[in-house]
Amino acid sequence: MNEKNNYKAWIYLAPSLILLVVFALYPLIDTFYISFLKDYNYLTGDSSGFTLENYEALFGIIPAPDTIAQLQGPINAFFEYALPNTLLITFVTVPISIALALIIAVLINSIKVCQRFFQTLFFTPYVTNIIAVGMVFGVIFSHTGLFNAIFNLDKYWVENNPETTYWNAMFVIFCDIIWYQLPFKILIFVAGLQGIGKTYYDAARIDSASKIKQFFKITVPLLSPQIFYISITSFINGFKEYQSIAGLFNRPGTSGNSYNLYTVVYFIYDQINAGSGHNVRYACCGAVVLFLIILVFTLIQFYISKKRVHYGA
Amino acid sequence: MKIKIESLTKKFPSNEKKNIAETIAVSDFNLEINDGELVALLGPSGCGKSTTLYMISGLIEPTSGKIYFGDEDVTDLISEKRSIGFVFQNYALYPHMNIFKNISFPLTNLKVNDYVYFPKIVFLLKIKKVLSEESSRNKLEELIKENTLEKKLDRYKLVNAFKKEFKLSLKYANKFYTYILKFNSDYKAIIKYIDETILKIRKAFSLFKIKIDENGYFLNKDSKAFKKVRKLYRCEIDLLVNDIARIVKIDEYLYRKPSELSGGQQQRVAIARALVKKPKVLLLDEPLSNLDARLRIETREEIKRIQKETGITTIFVTHDQDEAMAISDKMVVMSMGEIQQIGEPDDIYRNPKNLFVAKFLGVPPINIYDGEIKNGGLYIAHEKITDKKINIDDQKVIIGIRPEAYLLDDESKEGITLNIKKIYTSGRDLTLIAEHPSSKDEIKIILDSEHSVNMGNNKFRLLTSKLYIFNAKTEKRVEF
Repeated sequence: MNEKNNYKAWIYLAPSLILLVVFALYPLIDTFYISFLKDYNYLTGDSSGFTLENYEALFGIIPAPDTIAQLQGPINAFFEYALPNTLLITFVTVPISIALALIIAVLINSIKVCQRFFQTLFFTPYVTNIIAVGMVFGVIFSHTGLFNAIFNLDKYWVENNPETTYWNAMFVIFCDIIWYQLPFKILIFVAGLQGIGKTYYDAARIDSASKIKQFFKITVPLLSPQIFYISITSFINGFKEYQSIAGLFNRPGTSGNSYNLYTVVYFIYDQINAGSGHNVRYACCGAVVLFLIILVFTLIQFYISKKRVHYGA
Repeated sequence: MKIKIESLTKKFPSNEKKNIAETIAVSDFNLEINDGELVALLGPSGCGKSTTLYMISGLIEPTSGKIYFGDEDVTDLISEKRSIGFVFQNYALYPHMNIFKNISFPLTNLKVNDYVYFPKIVFLLKIKKVLSEESSRNKLEELIKENTLEKKLDRYKLVNAFKKEFKLSLKYANKFYTYILKFNSDYKAIIKYIDETILKIRKAFSLFKIKIDENGYFLNKDSKAFKKVRKLYRCEIDLLVNDIARIVKIDEYLYRKPSELSGGQQQRVAIARALVKKPKVLLLDEPLSNLDARLRIETREEIKRIQKETGITTIFVTHDQDEAMAISDKMVVMSMGEIQQIGEPDDIYRNPKNLFVAKFLGVPPINIYDGEIKNGGLYIAHEKITDKKINIDDQKVIIGIRPEAYLLDDESKEGITLNIKKIYTSGRDLTLIAEHPSSKDEIKIILDSEHSVNMGNNKFRLLTSKLYIFNAKTEKRVEF
């Protein structure tokens, strides 16, 4: 582009650039900045210099300074519960939902009758509100609910009850998230499958490859761009998980005062509102930690994808 | 493998809602193919030739009819079990696998009934044999000399040479190379090392009470080498892939992706993949249609060569009559799902059974006139075109004359007068473009370039051997 017309491009780009800078870039940098401020209060804007003690408090190395006793609990819960829970939820739900979505997509793609119908049927959960889904799952998994009735169980899954164990609650969370995450993945996979030429499967049949082998040696590699895209986005979504817990439990723990179902984003959300503006720094620390985790995992996936993902089928 | 096809028919059902009538893609197709023959299915697009091929492959189910490979009825056999090789029109090479993996893919699914042995021992013995025999040792030294540059061995070339000369798989060719480096070409030391290694392996097996003989073959209870239905070993696959890659001349590109090869190379890979499992039948679906004109001629010769070299019964589909005539032993001309004529290419060209076949074969195409038979003479628009006596009742007929049947002859009593519009010279030949009131299309004539022809009306004598009469209604050929 020549020098003279350069300013025109900037003018055209300005609206989106300004919005991006104001609402994305500035908050991003500010978050990093705040996370290192000592005694920051966002209502007054006061702080007293830079420090690492916010992070130290978050990781339980020192007690959170300048904090009232009942707010100490949630902050300690970050390292004890929020981080492990987030990782657990991500690493359980993402692989399972991808594998399930892949299988369902292949099945949908292989049926001839009512293919459109099933495609639509499997996509409907996607247009449902996640909080509503959580509430419905809450009803299904309640003590008198459908799940106990069908499997003839007498367990507490979601109630505020001492018998509601951590793993019971986690199981419900896994089910809820996987169910909610399937449709979009299925949609992407079905679209991807329909782009794979039929002759590859004809060739594989001529080469006497079994159906299973066709799946692993042809379908999966040729679908790898879609699988890669889905795995990146769902890992990010997994790390940001919190709505399902809010929808299912409406509290961060299995019982009244516990935080054992905390996730990182739940923590961030709580901290913004807590401590009359004093705790925003902890929310920022949590956000930075989450950012770094997502960054690392995305980089790892990009690294793996160089070898495993085949474009241009 | 002999192939017999009996009244093969494929109908695609009608759909009244969408106003689609029943389509008969192939109807009552009968054909016998001898062992080792190269047969071309030739016809315009939509004539059912590809459908026929797909039915032979088992990828499309026939509506009725039977297909026999040898004496075996394979009509209801799935493609996976027919033991065929298929080259698709777009090659269908797996884009994510390199060439080696593409070619080896059919082999990884193959089961053989063969001896069970420990590959490492067998290949080490192969290396030992190379080193202990005078002639192969000389060959080895020659190879090393050839591939030494400034006192450094060219690893890539040498390993490839080992693969080729000594029939070693890539892994053991590499091992051989490292031995030579390690022991500094001291062959006795290598042999000693190999002997020790084999002994170690056998000892390890004896620890687990598994019997194995000195040649690397596992032994059963009676201490005999035994056969078992098993998958191919990786090194066996490697050898087979290398063999076939050499035949189709792609052994240099084995570790590239299909997208990194040219169209002609991809095509050869597709043939290699089809041939590597030693199928009974090779099927090719318009294999040359994606190639440019020159490559097409080269590759069709190549296909012929590979086919003759492997002796495999081959059927290939094409719409290009040149291609079919150039390489096939037998040609099947099809139209509208029906066989028009079967025979040797030359014979079909010389003796077309009907107007369609006459029109379809030959470049430039045959010239068609409306003519008639009157009192034993053959006429086109009041001109008697041949002195030959025709013993057929008087009637209107269609007359076909090949472009090379015209001889310039002003004095001839019988013949045809044509109005020449254009003259093209192509060095060897003259092509004349002419008009005649009894012909709908423009007439093309080929003459030797020695002739000098003027524009306007010229009289031509005709060679009766290249002149055909067809019944005006049935379009069948009428002998005269």
